[in-house]
This record gives sequence, structure tokens and C-alpha cells, in this order.
Amino acid sequence: MWSTAREIAAGDVVIVWLTRDLLQPLLITPGKDFNSKFGNYRHSDLIGIPFGSKVGSRNGKGFINVLRPTPELWTMALPHRTQILYLADIAFITSWLDIKRGSRVIEAGTGSGSFSHSVARSIGATGHLWSFEFHEARATKAREEFTRHGMADIVTLAHRNVCKDGFAIIDTVDSVFLDLPAPWDAVDHAKRALRKDRTTRICCFSPCMEQVLRTVNALNEAGFTEITMYETLIRPHEVHQIPSLLPIGDVSDRLKKAEQRREEKRLRQIANARSNLSGKRKRSDVADGEPVEGADDTGNKRVKTDDEDEIGSRIVAEGSEANCNPPEPVRVANFPDTLSSGGEVPSTDAHMSSSKINLSKAMPEVRGHTSYLTFAVLAPAAKVADPLGSEVSAHHV
Amino acid sequence: MDPGPSSSQEADRSIIDCSIQSGDSVLLKLPNGDVRSVKVDADATITLGRVGSFSANDLIEQPYGLAYEIVDKRLKVMPPRTLQEVEDTDATNELINDGQSVQPLTLEEIEALKQSGVHASDIIKKQIEQHANYSLKTEYSKEKYKKRKEAKYSKSFATIEPTLFNVCEYWFNKDQNRIRDLRADTLSQMMNIANIRPGGRYLAVDDASGMVVSAILERMGGEGRLLTICDVDSPPAYPVMTNMNFKKHIFASALSSLNWATVQEDYTPVMAPTEPSDGQFHSDRQKSRLNKRKAVSESLTNTREELFAGEFDSLIVASEYDPFSIVEQLYPYLAGSAPIVVQSPHGQVLAELQAKIRTIPGYLGPAVSEAWLRRYQVLPGRTHPMMNTSGSGGFLFNVTKVYDDPSASSVMVHRQHKKQKSEAAKVGQNDPADTCLSVPESLDMDIVT
Repeated sequence: MWSTAREIAAGDVVIVWLTRDLLQPLLITPGKDFNSKFGNYRHSDLIGIPFGSKVGSRNGKGFINVLRPTPELWTMALPHRTQILYLADIAFITSWLDIKRGSRVIEAGTGSGSFSHSVARSIGATGHLWSFEFHEARATKAREEFTRHGMADIVTLAHRNVCKDGFAIIDTVDSVFLDLPAPWDAVDHAKRALRKDRTTRICCFSPCMEQVLRTVNALNEAGFTEITMYETLIRPHEVHQIPSLLPIGDVSDRLKKAEQRREEKRLRQIANARSNLSGKRKRSDVADGEPVEGADDTGNKRVKTDDEDEIGSRIVAEGSEANCNPPEPVRVANFPDTLSSGGEVPSTDAHMSSSKINLSKAMPEVRGHTSYLTFAVLAPAAKVADPLGSEVSAHHV
Repeated sequence: MDPGPSSSQEADRSIIDCSIQSGDSVLLKLPNGDVRSVKVDADATITLGRVGSFSANDLIEQPYGLAYEIVDKRLKVMPPRTLQEVEDTDATNELINDGQSVQPLTLEEIEALKQSGVHASDIIKKQIEQHANYSLKTEYSKEKYKKRKEAKYSKSFATIEPTLFNVCEYWFNKDQNRIRDLRADTLSQMMNIANIRPGGRYLAVDDASGMVVSAILERMGGEGRLLTICDVDSPPAYPVMTNMNFKKHIFASALSSLNWATVQEDYTPVMAPTEPSDGQFHSDRQKSRLNKRKAVSESLTNTREELFAGEFDSLIVASEYDPFSIVEQLYPYLAGSAPIVVQSPHGQVLAELQAKIRTIPGYLGPAVSEAWLRRYQVLPGRTHPMMNTSGSGGFLFNVTKVYDDPSASSVMVHRQHKKQKSEAAKVGQNDPADTCLSVPESLDMDIVT
């Protein structure tokens, strides 16, 4: 398949990793350039550097990572001609169908070749994949791709409608994978293609439950057994680094301190108000001899504040004493994102700030369904007549 | 159709065409759904509790995947069973009450029938005939009843092919702790992400009873190299390998092991002398002992050199030890672009690993995920997800090794004045300490500055 050499050579396919969500295949062609918003690169500059290198743009602005292709990277980078299979399904199907070195496999249809590349990698040079695609243009594109990727010896691609025309392969393959709109029409053909001297397996890939039910019936009627169905998904997680969670004792302390500060402030304000008032009176006495309006004889001025009108205000006005300021904001929640929102931070938090914890949670939006994977087994014919002498009925074909 | 594989490839496919051989450990599925692992040795008798016993020779040379009935201690192949359509009727359980005695056949009578060698199906038939309410049951309920009775009386079993999937499922159901919760879907993903293929060279750390090692060896099919690092000073035991029934060529030349002491380059392993002290062998026994020792010593030296030469294609870890220390230790021996895959039953462990690694250049695209799997019963007219399922098959972390270029700078540096969303993602890649995890910035800020 792809190059296994350490360094990149002309004619190699590489995967350019631009971002986590933006990967792009590149056929290294001397004389060509690769331009993107992540910089400008000459193909020839990539030749001779090891796969897996970070490469800076020629103008010093931006960089790319140049990776060795794998079927998994290919799945993320490939040009979509159809809906494609992704890692979770591909991996699970490969295991269930027991696809490994030397396996002979049929797939229909080829689609964009996502599954094909993975199978070709897993079976290696000693295995073989027969891939069928009924859409001619797609078949041609896929064939070109397989050749470019050095898979031509492993994969035989045919442009054919297998539901109508079958596979033209008899008693040969170890497993069959059907990604077709009507897999039930291909089940009998699949049975013919499967070898009968060992356990063989089939997988039908359908997004809808109605398709599954029809497929199950067809498999059952054809003599497949152990019919079962799976759904599999990957739940990606995101990791957050946040300050370690505060115990509520800290919150209590903070509240108590805030309360205490507020009380101190109130008393301070009263004292200030008193001294101001007496100072003012003296000044006004000097000015015109008239008493200041609103002030009583005892010198206690009732200063009206907004807070008095607030329902549930935490300000407790004692007697007729004044409170000139609204209450300080008291932080009662310890959510990390509100912690950094400014304002005075109580000193009790200081010792906590150094410790952070790493937490993961499932991403908020994820893929919820790909397809149902319907599996079944075709049991082998017994190799020897059984000990009781009764002939094992040929239940196949 | 185009010609397929050439005949010269036939020999290479021997791994595919395994029938049951003497000495194999074979998984048997019993009527009640339990799976048992039995050793099949020529001329031995295999006993399966109440299902009965039979001669192991009847299984040898048989292909996997057949069902048998035990008749007079011999095996009779049963035809594969297909699903039966169940007819919908008007029956309900309206008139069926719990706790009523509906079965006049006593336990003793049933036992007597069994002793006299009456076939399971006849016992069940008799029970049905005697059953007071059987006719009231719905057809679905009747099916279930027959199935339950069959599980009880049937003297049959089926052989299970030791595919990677089947062996993983067997171990997962038997004792998932011993394989560190590695469910078949998770294991499959590991094999794919790590790009396991025939001819590859891999490093693996397997504290999961050899589940990971078995998977890699199976996928390599005897072609390539697998170097495992273990925590014991003798060759590690990978019990899962027993169930895979690997032929010798699958692992003999492919698998070697080192331990956490011998992987340290500056460590000199303590080896007993391999030459006689006075330069002369005193006996053949001494000679063979010393030669053996010499072979072991040389093999260790070679394996260490192989590791230190590096350029391995990927690293696969399912370990009880701190994953960061493992990755850090083995990182230098990986080739550029090599995938690193770490599995853990605990998401937190991988969250920590992720948080540490994203601050280090040379690691590209760290990601944490959990596989999700749901199985369905697909009986005709009775399709629904299984009532019981496994909660978790473990978590996966993966990242790619890259050769960092400290002089390369992000586009962002030059475009800070016109910050775009798509470039924000790019920064994450450039500066792993920053935003590649899509962490809201406020989360990363200190409380006290």
C-alpha cells in the first residue's frame, strides 16, 4: 500500500494535517505547490523529510504536519463521493467478520473507498478484496485511487450491479460486507460466493430498521444463523482543566467575612456621616445661622438610600442610622467561570488557586447514528461423516 | 471476474484454515448460553456437566462453528438452526396467574425420564402436554418456554471459532477486570487506530492478560514484529493467547518481550556468566545449561538493541501503570507519524494524560473517547435492544507522534488582528497548551492573579 519508508519521496501520498477537522491528501509531485490559508509549500521541499514532520510555511507564516497515510487518516481526509463509513463501524465490522491477514473479502458497494482501504491494510498482500460498485464514475475514481495507493494487487474492483448480476465468485470468500440500499437482494449471491468448508460471515450495513428486518428475513431464509444486530458509536470527550472544586466551608467563610466587612463599613460610614454632619452644621451655622433642612436637633440625619426600597435587601438599618452605599457583591457560587469575572477575591481562595484538576465530559454534540450492523454466520459443512453414520445434510446451496 | 489471488498465496493462508487440533483450547457454547473453554486432547474425554461427556477425538479435525448433540458419548452434528417465524394469535396472559402449580410432572419423574435416556425433546413434549396453562400462552411465550426447557435438558453444544471478536467477548463476559474492561469494539478501534497490519513493527504494553498482544499478533498473522514491555523479570504470561490457539509461526518469530528495567538504556542487566569459570565445560549438562543461558542473554541483548534502534510503527497501551510515564519512556522509539493508543477503564486517567501531553510539542491531536455499543435481538416480530448490556468497554486516548519544528510559527501569530474562528482551531494545534481542547478561556484562568 502506501510508503513504509522513513522519508517522503516523490510520488508518495501524504496526509496534510491542517487542523483537527481539516486533513487533506497530497500526492507529492515535484514542481507543484501546496497553498492554503496555513501557508505556502513546495512539494519538492517535502521530499526527503521524515513522515510526521511539522513544516513551516515558506513565508514564515503558518505550518502544516505532514503525516504518513493510514486508512484511519484517509477516512478523515478522503474526497467524499458518497456517505462513508467511519472508524467505529469499520473497526467493529472488521473484528466481527474476522478480517485479518490473508482474508478474502467481498464488499459492495465501493462508495468512496473508506472501508476498502481499511480492509486492504488488514488483509495485506496475502489476502484479497473484491470490491463492487454499480455507479460507473465512482468505480472509475475508486480504481484510480486504489492504483495510486498501491492496492491494485490486493483489490479487484468491478463495475457491477450485484443485486442483479451477483458476484461471479463461487465458494471463495471468508466474509461479505454489503453496504447497499437493498442488501436482501444480494444475500443469495453472497451465500454462493462464501466458501463452505469453514465458518464464514456476512455483515449488512443499513441506516433504517425497516431494511434490517427485511435483511434478517432474507438471511434467515438463505440459511444463515446466529443473526444479530449491533449499533456502535464513538463518544468523544473533551478535557477541561479547571481549578479544583471548593468545599462549601470556604464559601461559608467567605460569606461570613463579607458580612463582617459590610458591618465594619457600615459603622465606618456612620462615623463619617456623623463627623461630616457636625462639620457641615458648623459651617452652615457660620454661613447663615439657619439649621440645615432635614437635620434634627440631635444631629442624626436620616439619609435616604436606594437600598431601603429594595425588597429583601440585606442591609439592616439600625434605628435611624444611615447607609450610603449599596451592599458589596457577595459571591455565593464557586463556578470557575464566575470566579474570574473580576471584583475583590477573598483571600481564602488564594491557597486553592494553585491546584487544578483535569476533567473530561462527553462532547455536547456527537454523531447519534450511522447504520445498523446486521451480522450472520454461515456454518461450514461437516468435514467428516459424523460418528453415527448419518449423512450430514448439505444445507448449503 | 478478474483473477484473484495467486496459488502461491495459498500456503500463507494457513492461519485462516484452522480446524480443531489436538492440544487446542476450544470454546463451547452450551444450551443455556454459557461458554466454556475446554482443552481438546486426543483420546481424552471431555465432560460438560449435565450436558454430558464425549470423546475429544470426535472434535479433532472438525471445522469450528458446528453444533453437536451428545448421543451415547459420541457427537452427532446437528443442522444449523434458523429463526422461526412466530404466528401472532389473540392469546394474552389475562387468565394466567403466577404461583399456580401448572406442572403435574414432578422433579423426580423428570429425573427418571432423563435417566432412562429419553431425548430432551421428548421430555419437553411431555412437559408441554402436562402443562395446565400451555394452551393459554401466547405463541411468543410458548417459544420462550420451549427455549428455556431446551436450555435445561438439551445435550448439545456448539464450537465457537477462536476469532479475536469471540475470544474478546468470552473474556469480557467471563472476567472483564482481567482484560481491563477491553470490550471487542474498543479493542477493534485500538487495532485500527494503531494501524496494525501484516509486516508492521509495534510496541505494546499489555497488563490486560494478553488481550492486546493477542489482537496484534492475530492481525499481524506472523508477519512483522511485536515488542512488549512487561513488569516481570521472566517472559510474561499472556493467558488470553491460549484461547487464540495461535500456531507457532504466528508468534514465535514475531513476539519478544522486555521489562521496565531492561528498557532503560543506561541499565546493564545482571546476567549470570555464560562461560565456565575455568574456560572448560565439566559436563554436557553444564554445557547445555550455559549455552541456554547464553542464548537467553543474546536474545535479550538483541531485543534491547532492536528497541533502542527505534522507528516502531505504533505504541499500544492497556496498562495498570501511569500512562504518561509509559508514553514518555517509549516515545523516543517511535517513528514519525506513529499513532499512540492508550486504553483505560477510567476516563479520569486519560483526561490527566491528555492534559499533560497537550502541553508538549511533538504530540499531534490528542483525543479522548469512549466506545458505545448496543446489541439487538432480531427475532422475527421481536426486534429490540438487549435488556442487559455492558456499561463501558473502556476509554481510549490517541495521539500522533510528530517531529516538532520550533521555528515554525502559527498563522495566528501573523494574523492576530483578524482573528477568525477557523484559525482559532489552528492555534490549538500550534500551541497545545492553549485551546486545542476547546476549553473556554475563562476556565483556564487563575482565580487569583
